Amino acid sequence: MRDNFKIAWRNLWRNRRRTLITASSVFFAVFFAIIMRSYQLGTYDHMISNVIESYTGHLQIQHPEYQNNPQIDNSFDFNDSLFLLISNVENVVSVTPHLEFFALASNGPQTKGVAILGIDPAREKTFSNPENKLVRYRITDEALLEMTQSGTFPASVLKKLQENKDRSYSSRARLELELGLAITETEKYIPEIIRFCQVQNGFLNEDDNGILVSDRLARYLKAEIGDTIILIGQGYQGASAAGLFPVKGIIKMPAPDLDNRLIMMTIPAAQKFLDAPGKITSVSINLTDRSTRTIKKGLDRINKLMEGMGTTVKTWYELNPVLYQQIQGDSQSGMVMLGVLYFIIFFGIFGTVIMMVAERKKEFGVLISIGMQKTRLKRIISMEMAMLGLLGLAGGMLAAVPFILYFFYNPIVLKGDLGKMMEDMGWDAVMPAKWFGPYYYIQALIVVIMILLATLYPLRKINKLKEVEALRS
Amino acid sequence: MKILELKNVNKIYDGSEVPVHAVRDVTLEFEEGEFAAIVGPSGSGKTTLLNLIGGLDMPTSGEIIIDGVNLAKLKPSQLIDFRLRNIGFVFQSYNLIPVLTARENVEFIMSLQKWPRKERDARTYELLKAVGLEERMNSRPSKLSGGQQQRVAVARALAPKPKFILADEPTANLDSKAASNLLEIMEKLNREEKITFIFSTHDPRVVKKARRVIALEDGRVFSDEKIQSVND
Repeated sequence: MRDNFKIAWRNLWRNRRRTLITASSVFFAVFFAIIMRSYQLGTYDHMISNVIESYTGHLQIQHPEYQNNPQIDNSFDFNDSLFLLISNVENVVSVTPHLEFFALASNGPQTKGVAILGIDPAREKTFSNPENKLVRYRITDEALLEMTQSGTFPASVLKKLQENKDRSYSSRARLELELGLAITETEKYIPEIIRFCQVQNGFLNEDDNGILVSDRLARYLKAEIGDTIILIGQGYQGASAAGLFPVKGIIKMPAPDLDNRLIMMTIPAAQKFLDAPGKITSVSINLTDRSTRTIKKGLDRINKLMEGMGTTVKTWYELNPVLYQQIQGDSQSGMVMLGVLYFIIFFGIFGTVIMMVAERKKEFGVLISIGMQKTRLKRIISMEMAMLGLLGLAGGMLAAVPFILYFFYNPIVLKGDLGKMMEDMGWDAVMPAKWFGPYYYIQALIVVIMILLATLYPLRKINKLKEVEALRS
Repeated sequence: MKILELKNVNKIYDGSEVPVHAVRDVTLEFEEGEFAAIVGPSGSGKTTLLNLIGGLDMPTSGEIIIDGVNLAKLKPSQLIDFRLRNIGFVFQSYNLIPVLTARENVEFIMSLQKWPRKERDARTYELLKAVGLEERMNSRPSKLSGGQQQRVAVARALAPKPKFILADEPTANLDSKAASNLLEIMEKLNREEKITFIFSTHDPRVVKKARRVIALEDGRVFSDEKIQSVND
């Protein structure tokens, strides 16, 4: 074994340049595949976290007609005993009732069609936790003017503040992320920026009659905290619904699509507005993870639990097929690209193997002539191939580690046209890397398969090798 | 003592349009400790005969029996193992393993035979000293001259104490000084280790040293002459 390893290792470096080129091609393929996949999957996770886990839930209980006809008439009764039953289902981490409907919102001359979400503020904390989404900082014209006049900030910081004008942030971390200041600048200026940009905000009580307005919608309606919004819509069973609602808080929804049109109020307030006492339109359920297996298991159990109650249980991909298909399409195109990349790399490796076999045919003949069994020679060649693959594979996987770590904690924030384009598509323009997972280890499997396939060629050649012919070559 | 016997051996290559009868009806016997040269013009079948004796190729008809074992009866893996334990090879173009040093090349067959480390080291040193290369034992083949490489090849072939050594034109790529040096070493080892040497050659200096000369012509044994050496 030791002798085999020694010969294989030395053989590997006989043609140093070729070995380095081949190992480098594997290195770059693995490195780029991991980085690319990490961004793709990280971005999907971010989208799902923003849209699914904070809004629809992994599973949702609805009236059977609600998805095709989302009217308040397609609602159902909900009570605490049902809440407890669902909460006790295996893998369920949060259960939140929602009363969702559409209405016209108006503030002075500004009017817009909005989505209204009736929530239970206490239970919502375990789901989307809207309190965490309250706008805490906003870079307004006034704040910018004051910061410029204060003389505290250097031009570079002011430039970045200017670039982020009119943006709102629900946390200091997000403010730091989007400003993208250098570490020293962050430490020095963020406390000052916070002082100038801080905004007062409020939240809903259990039986509050106020509303939370999403940031972009509030700006469209030119609504501030304390203003009163008029809501007009259709109530339960054809009743007309209208009401005045004071703005208690502004929330920053990470998904721009929601941020443009969402109003939250308590379920009792919504039921009163719609004249639909005890009714809700959905129960959103988040599970421990969103793997197909867990979702399928949860779906089956909750379906069984809700049997005969006039409801249906839907998965997040049924509830948001557009997002699901976007993710699937993007993921598949990414995999096709990786497939092409690995295909090219495979032929690079295969070319090296063909050359290696052609160059060493005589040597193989000598080794077998003097008494080396073909099985041992095949073992040495396999070791050599494994080392070649391993060099590139280990290098690529290790080199990707710092990138994944850095961009997991410091996601890329897309700015300018690209960022705007993503936001217009309803996505948060943030690209975090995904933490290590199967996508990371699967690259090793792909390289191992490639190396195994490429190794078949020399093994077959050795099997068929005739000593005399090899010695003559 | 008879160690090698060829009985009516024929080899016909029928790969090309016209079949080539490379070895015709060869019947020979070799005794232990012989120092035999197979001579003949190019294409006379010297290398083919050596390949057949070494079990690198199989005769079309006839039998090759080494130490009572008929090579044709062995499976391919048994044949490789038989070669490992009984036959040493010296090739015209040395054919050392380029990634191993002179010492490792000599040790190689012994390690395939699983000799204990100590015995392997002692035998390697003894042989490299015998071929005058103990100072260059840690050099790779690329750092050795042609003559030095061929001396390592002889040491490698001798290392596991085979029944006989087959050398195909061992001096063909060497200058006269290196060739005569190699011949002296081979002769000395033949005398001291009692190992049979069978070599094909064109080289008259090699023929002069041989104690048996087998001449081939068109694949047939033309003459088989035993020469009484001064030492005998």
